[in-house]
Amino acid sequence: MDKQRDFVLRTIEERGVKFVRLWFTDVVGTLKMVAIAPAEVEGAFAEGLGIDGSSIEGFTRAYEADVLAHPDPTTFQILPWRGDVDPTARMFCDITTPDGQPAAADPRQVLKRTLAKAADAGFTFYTHPEIEFYLLKSSKFGPEGPQPVDSAGYFDNVPGGSAHDFRRRAVRMLEDLGISVEFSHHEAGPGQNEIDLRYADALTTADNIQTFRTVVKEVAIEQGVYATFMPKPLEKHPGSGMHTHMSLFEGDTNAFFDPGGQYQLSQIGRQFVAGLLHHAPEITAVTNQFVNSYKRIWSGDEAPSYVTWGHNNRSALVRVPLYKPGKGQSARVEYRGLDSAANPYLAYSLLLAAGLKGIENGYELPPEAEDTVWALSESERRALGYKGLPASLDRALGLMEDSELVAETLGEQVFNYVLLNKRREWREYRAQVTPYELSSNLEIL
Amino acid sequence: MNSRPASTLTLLARLGFDDLGAAKSTIDALDATPGAGGITEHLDLFSLAADPDRALRGLQSLLDRHADALAPALEDPSWMRRIIRVLGASEGLGQFLLRRPDELAALREQLGEPRDTEVYRRDIVEAVAGLTGEDARLALRVRYRRHLLQLAAWDLDHDDPLTAMPAVGCALADLAGASLDAGLDIARRECGFPDAQVAATRLAIIGMGKCGARELNYLSDVDVIYAVEAGDGIETGRAVEIGTRLASMTARSIQEPGIEPPLWEVDANLRPEGKDGALVRSLDSHRAYYERWAKNWEFQALLKARPIAGDPEVGEGFLAITQPLVWESSQRDGFVEQVQGMRERVTAHIPADEVDVQVKLGPGGLRDIEFTVQLLQLVHGNHDDRVRQRDSLGALAALAECGYIGRAEAAEFSGDYRLLRVIEHRLQLDRLSRTHLMPRDADRQRVIARATGLASSAEELLSQWQRTKLAVRSLHEKLFYRPLLSAVAKLPDEQLALTSDQAEARLAAIGFVDPERALQHIAALTGGVSRRAAIQRTLLPVILQWLADGADPDHGLLSFRRLSDALGETYWFLRMLRDSSGAAQRLSTVLAASHFVGALFERIPEGAAWLEDDDELRPRPLAALLDEVRATVARHTGDDDAAAKALRVARRRETLRVALAAMVDVIDVQQLGVALSDVTTAYLTGALALAHTYGDGVEFAIIAMGRYGGAELGFGSDADVIYVFRDAGAGDRAATVAQRIVTRLGQLTEDLRLPCELDAGLRPEGRNGPIVRSLDSYRAYYERWSLTWEAQALLRARPAAGDGALSADFMDVADAVRYPSTFGEAEAREVRRIKARVESERLPQAADPARHLKLGRGSLSDVEWFVQLLQLRHAHEEPALRTPSTLGALAAAADAGLLPSRDAERLRAAWLIASRVRSAAMLWTGRTADVLPADRRQLDAIARLLAYPPKSAALLEEDYLRTTRLARQVFEKGFYAT
Repeated sequence: MDKQRDFVLRTIEERGVKFVRLWFTDVVGTLKMVAIAPAEVEGAFAEGLGIDGSSIEGFTRAYEADVLAHPDPTTFQILPWRGDVDPTARMFCDITTPDGQPAAADPRQVLKRTLAKAADAGFTFYTHPEIEFYLLKSSKFGPEGPQPVDSAGYFDNVPGGSAHDFRRRAVRMLEDLGISVEFSHHEAGPGQNEIDLRYADALTTADNIQTFRTVVKEVAIEQGVYATFMPKPLEKHPGSGMHTHMSLFEGDTNAFFDPGGQYQLSQIGRQFVAGLLHHAPEITAVTNQFVNSYKRIWSGDEAPSYVTWGHNNRSALVRVPLYKPGKGQSARVEYRGLDSAANPYLAYSLLLAAGLKGIENGYELPPEAEDTVWALSESERRALGYKGLPASLDRALGLMEDSELVAETLGEQVFNYVLLNKRREWREYRAQVTPYELSSNLEIL
Repeated sequence: MNSRPASTLTLLARLGFDDLGAAKSTIDALDATPGAGGITEHLDLFSLAADPDRALRGLQSLLDRHADALAPALEDPSWMRRIIRVLGASEGLGQFLLRRPDELAALREQLGEPRDTEVYRRDIVEAVAGLTGEDARLALRVRYRRHLLQLAAWDLDHDDPLTAMPAVGCALADLAGASLDAGLDIARRECGFPDAQVAATRLAIIGMGKCGARELNYLSDVDVIYAVEAGDGIETGRAVEIGTRLASMTARSIQEPGIEPPLWEVDANLRPEGKDGALVRSLDSHRAYYERWAKNWEFQALLKARPIAGDPEVGEGFLAITQPLVWESSQRDGFVEQVQGMRERVTAHIPADEVDVQVKLGPGGLRDIEFTVQLLQLVHGNHDDRVRQRDSLGALAALAECGYIGRAEAAEFSGDYRLLRVIEHRLQLDRLSRTHLMPRDADRQRVIARATGLASSAEELLSQWQRTKLAVRSLHEKLFYRPLLSAVAKLPDEQLALTSDQAEARLAAIGFVDPERALQHIAALTGGVSRRAAIQRTLLPVILQWLADGADPDHGLLSFRRLSDALGETYWFLRMLRDSSGAAQRLSTVLAASHFVGALFERIPEGAAWLEDDDELRPRPLAALLDEVRATVARHTGDDDAAAKALRVARRRETLRVALAAMVDVIDVQQLGVALSDVTTAYLTGALALAHTYGDGVEFAIIAMGRYGGAELGFGSDADVIYVFRDAGAGDRAATVAQRIVTRLGQLTEDLRLPCELDAGLRPEGRNGPIVRSLDSYRAYYERWSLTWEAQALLRARPAAGDGALSADFMDVADAVRYPSTFGEAEAREVRRIKARVESERLPQAADPARHLKLGRGSLSDVEWFVQLLQLRHAHEEPALRTPSTLGALAAAADAGLLPSRDAERLRAAWLIASRVRSAAMLWTGRTADVLPADRRQLDAIARLLAYPPKSAALLEEDYLRTTRLARQVFEKGFYAT
């Protein structure tokens, strides 16, 4: 750590950094920032920077009004979009109370605590997300809903090339930030994109997701378009998921790999998947935290509505991909429920906790789903024992409220806050009279 | 030539042999062996051996295998004496001699004193001159051990091992430095870089820890830090690269396995950034690190730094950079926490089964002395460079010399330190192993005892050691706390006097927030010629130490001063301070933990006496309290104000007793509830006796309700009551008389110091109803109008004070209401509805439901309502449910199978934690608290009262929130769901 701090202070000097932004995340997953002058950085390392938490979601109660942000020097990066005029850097922060204990409401601390628990069991947790999002002409929308930048299929075919520039620019910036990516343009939705982040430990990945969202938004602004991670912005087109590949390592060994296992998945891997499935309904309020999230889950097509697993089954909630021979280190499982608007720190904490619970209690993996689950009839699904994920945020919150796993993992205060906050969202949503109701009811009633 | 008497068993026993038979047959056999006469001829030399049997066996083995090497020694009694000394005390050195019999020659000459640093250095470096590889390592290690052999012989043969000990520590450190130099010499030849560049790499090895302080053990890790500078012709980066190779190769020569076993571990983990940091740094890099990043403990470690090998100029350069920084560390933020951390490290991490055999750690161990000495150095060395000594003995002497500690104490603890070190040396010498544990085996203890030269039997050594341990345990108090007094009072028995700045620095270091004020209190407590001042001069040092362990040392000291002023020369107080350290410790602990108790002590200073005796702390039974009340009332007949005052005093006194009992764990929270309820009952009984004149034509009674009725009061709870009367001749005036009694009760029970709120809000019609009713009126009301909530309130009704017959009749009325034969779904729904309304209305605006102790999610009121609904529905057929106690009814309900025992357990846990937090909050602040505090300091103080370790604010918060959440789940399912 100390070497890292050394490096940060040196770099600030050498590169003439003018501002340092301290980033942290609120309980909802929104990135917050405080900008400080380089002269203050040393003090922030030593003692933390006092911030007023009372205006931050999840920190709102009086007793967390006074918190300290401690920048994590390993996350130091110069922000590329600021250019060479007034170079600006950023670091992620851990939030503590004035007496030096991790602030209960800091999602990054929640993930750190969960990772530490996994480490106690001898595991390191790696993740690799595939983040989908839409590029829109603007955040304004008319009666037809938002307008994608292209109504055609491929990006490159769009004349004028703003989208092409977008891609080049975003990749460049992400790579400048040390995040290597793979871009792909979906045929599925107009203006929809997917970016895969490289495999990394879950804390780094979560930090990277937060950075990534910021970069994508910044570049979009630069290019005069609007990027959104909303789970389901367009009624007629697929939603934006954040399928995440996960694996556990014991030291240098991939604990999911067993050359003799079914799909080369080890016993630990099977139990991990069983844990994910067993607890999936109760963690959904966090992995899919908005009212809108449930419109993606239940939109059919490839959305994972049912608690199933399969091998190369694109309708399953958990997929066990086949690895190339001799690539045991890349053994992994893919959780397809997560959407792009989740708070990555909390979502990864819960996925890990659910999987670990499966290992700890030796859960049995149910039989594999070989059919396209969507194509089955309701009775067939019942007969096969395929349970649905919660149908709405309200249902998801009810399941979460009874979950010891979620309470234990998030800590009492974040747990409580998420419930309160999301209940409010549900109430506000329910209070509306929607165009749907008006158009289908008004004339006949 | 056999001139000695026959080796009888008696003689062998006198010499100290243990296995006499085996020794005799060995000796007899040797007698018959040509050339072995030298062994048996001087049998009396064996009396000098720590373990004569082992010495004899060792000699026999040498004779068997290396007779030629041994032969010359056999002719020389002085030489033999040293061989026998070494063989008897050290298995490890015995094996060395078997491996390297030529080294026997090293014992030929008597060492006058351990050799000089440079002599050792030259000799060991010379031994490896020109050598590389296994040859070099072998030469290095054998030469090191030759000197170790000589040193051990000198040490063991010394008349006064306590005097010899410092010289041994120096010599061992010098030998370590010399070996590192030799290792470095080998590394320079082997490292594979161009010679010119190697020559230009100026590597210094800095000794840390005991090696740096020149007080090394026979066998311990040698802590080092490496620094490098580039000489002519190479760049710094290259010097660091070469230096890193040299450093790791140097360590290998010392510690890697080889033909001759390794010497010790070279430990470089104290370097900047620890294990993850670069092994070797340039001076600039060290400077940058220590100026910007190093933590306080790293400066404490640098206290001992000393160049021990390699380039001396670079080593001095390192010191020039680091030493000024060391002494600023007590000025840094967080110093107090660091000191507490140091103390925790001193006391923690000792396996329980080792505590009594640990020479180094544990109470009264070496670490205690080192901690105290270092702390004093850090506090005072900042302003006074004379105390900046590396070694513990030097520091003790300097601290005494400069007047920071008493000379007598310094001399005493210097002796203790040496004794412990000599024991430790002998333990390590035995097997040449890194141990600090006294063997449990009596035979081995005897060997260690004989090896020290301080005792001839195990018992003798152990009792010396015990005495020393006891003395060392009081060391911290004597050296750190006691001199604080000298800043403000002249101590007759001592010369030293701290300045007030020095004393304040010490007080701040242990957690006093306002050291200046604290010093004033100390001055007041110890000034003057009174007996009390004299006794407090003796005891205050340790009291300060106890206060400093509490949540609020400043307030604790203030309260102590007030108490002491109030008690003055009271005989028992002085005796308690003087004789009973248990009571004095309890007193200090409660004063630093509770403002509530501090305030009560101002009124009832004599309560301090109870701390001596758990029986005094135990709450007095109700009957005794009532006896006292009656006597009080009788004594003050005709003067109600005087009587009321006496009753108030008694109530405060008994409340204090209960508070103390709760804090020192004589009673638990349930017993606390009963005790406080009894105190209230006695108080009300007395007040009623004054308010209600005998023969005024009415009967009158007070019925306890709510938590008071359930005998579950906490500190700061209101007492819920209802009043009832019955006409006994007053006729129409009866109601007026009763009304007057109630008014008078209110006046008589007013107490601004310790408020006693009588809350009659649970009466029929609540605050809208008449404050007192006749029994008939109650009966009529309940029969006609009774609302469900009133029946529910009656569940906890219990006679408290007043006419017994009337109370009993009232309870009959109550029973019919509260244990109804039918309690239908409509009534149950009504209870639920009211509860739901209470939840939304009574909780104060902006209060966080999760943290409200009474009305919050899963806290007291949830549990109580849950239990009461069960009682209303089932008490009629389940008599065990008929109890005013919430926990009692809950247990009965679980027994009756009305709820799963796991649910009952969750509710109980929530009720207990909420009750305990409420009482603890009151004890801590002296004010009632309805919410779990948010402030970390408050939480920490409350957590301590709940027996959490210090710094458990977050833990308590999490426990509270989890426990109440789980209770709320039970509540939601069992109460609201039908």
